[in-house]
Amino acid sequence: MIKIKHVADSQICVIDPITDRLTAANATSFKDEVWQLIDKGEYRLVIDLTGVAFVDSSAIGALVGILKRLGNRGEIVVCGLSGSVDKMFRITRMDRVFPTYPNSAEAAAALSERL
Amino acid sequence: MSDNIERYPDYIKRVVVADDDCLQRTYISSILKKLGYDPYEADNGICALKLLRDHNAQILICDLDMPGLNGINLARRIRSDPGELYVHILMVTGRNQSEERERALDAGIDDFMAKPVDTASLTARIRSVKRLLLHEKRLAEREDKLRLAKERIESDLNDAANAQRRMLPDQHIRIGQCEFHSAMMASNILAGDMFAYFEIDPGILGFYAIDVAGHGIHASLMSVALGHMLSAEFFRQWAIDKDGDPDPAALVRFLNKKFFRDDSTDYFTMFCGVLDQSRNELHFCQGGYPSAIITGPAGVCTSLGQGGFPVALLTQAEFENQKTYFPPDHFMVLVSDGALEAEDPSGQPFDDDGVKNIITARAHDPASIPDRIIEALSEWRGGSPLDDDLTVVVCERIQA
Repeated sequence: MIKIKHVADSQICVIDPITDRLTAANATSFKDEVWQLIDKGEYRLVIDLTGVAFVDSSAIGALVGILKRLGNRGEIVVCGLSGSVDKMFRITRMDRVFPTYPNSAEAAAALSERL
Repeated sequence: MSDNIERYPDYIKRVVVADDDCLQRTYISSILKKLGYDPYEADNGICALKLLRDHNAQILICDLDMPGLNGINLARRIRSDPGELYVHILMVTGRNQSEERERALDAGIDDFMAKPVDTASLTARIRSVKRLLLHEKRLAEREDKLRLAKERIESDLNDAANAQRRMLPDQHIRIGQCEFHSAMMASNILAGDMFAYFEIDPGILGFYAIDVAGHGIHASLMSVALGHMLSAEFFRQWAIDKDGDPDPAALVRFLNKKFFRDDSTDYFTMFCGVLDQSRNELHFCQGGYPSAIITGPAGVCTSLGQGGFPVALLTQAEFENQKTYFPPDHFMVLVSDGALEAEDPSGQPFDDDGVKNIITARAHDPASIPDRIIEALSEWRGGSPLDDDLTVVVCERIQA
């Protein structure tokens, strides 16, 4: 379900969930796919939620699950939060757990500065 | 052949033989009898139809040409009224009736036999039908087992849901100087929502609303565990500090520690409050639950809290106390995100505005707000069920 894109000359992987709704219906398979990426050695991740208009509590659980899997091996940031997704991140303080950026280019730039 | 028809159920042995030719009919019947079947003879289509129904027979051997209702029209009549049992139809045709066979297949005939009918071909075909009937029987038995299992599971779930519902407070209840009004609607049979309110100490009330992430059995088990744990005694122990001051964040911090698991992302959101009635002070901790709304007699809505970490999701999450003025004649409304996220058929969420509009319109009658929100959401959803559990709790302060 996910689409990944590697940023040139970096170890940064941009992940697009390719869905406009990340919910109980697909959050677990999304998490599993990102886990596989981490297990293959992708440790610098940008989750691009530009195309996602709605997330529910299961999606938040999945994102934290990804963060737990990654542990201190690398870093995960999110970008492209809009409308209700942005609100969900603020109400649950996920904006303090995940560094957030307006778009994938800025997220990747910030990640590569910290490499 | 080793298969013995005698050991099969009677309905598999019943065969209706429809032919206006008495000789042909008697001949086919005699072969069937030798094979162990029970033939019922009909000299026309109408009579065949009656015999099929009267004896619940599932096999019909019919001639194509019969006066009145011919074989093809007989098949159409049988197929147009699909009862519970499927009737297998074998048609006897002349060697030069290939065009009629096409029409007969369309009408619902299953197989053909050419005249003159011989013992070998009738035996082969009747055995093939018998295999199908036995296969159908096995499928029907399996379906019965599944249906029974499903009924048992649903009955258990309904019992569990009733037990869960009995844990919730009455819809309208007075505690101290407050009237509480509530409504809860599960998106499935079981819900992941839980709430309660009680007097902790004279003049001090405690309340909470919880929404376990996800829905269904998994979420409901956690919500029930929390419902049993979060008592007045528990609030006294964890939500009041050693100096006797309200400290709901301490309670939430305790739950965060207790329910956090390294290997899981099960969590819940919570709004936890302690109300000091004599000081008109509401102390609360927002654990990822939507902001509460406080409203006065004029219907102006004020949101409480800017958010907070969910509970049991992150071990290092910090929880803080907040305080607000909550005087008599005001009321507070808690609504789970099941209401805010509920979308209309075009995908538009009900959102804070949908809730606040109802609160403002019903400020003169807070008791009616929970049911009104449920009603409005059902209209908003255009009749389709909610995707998430829904809780509405109203705490109305009244003059002493």
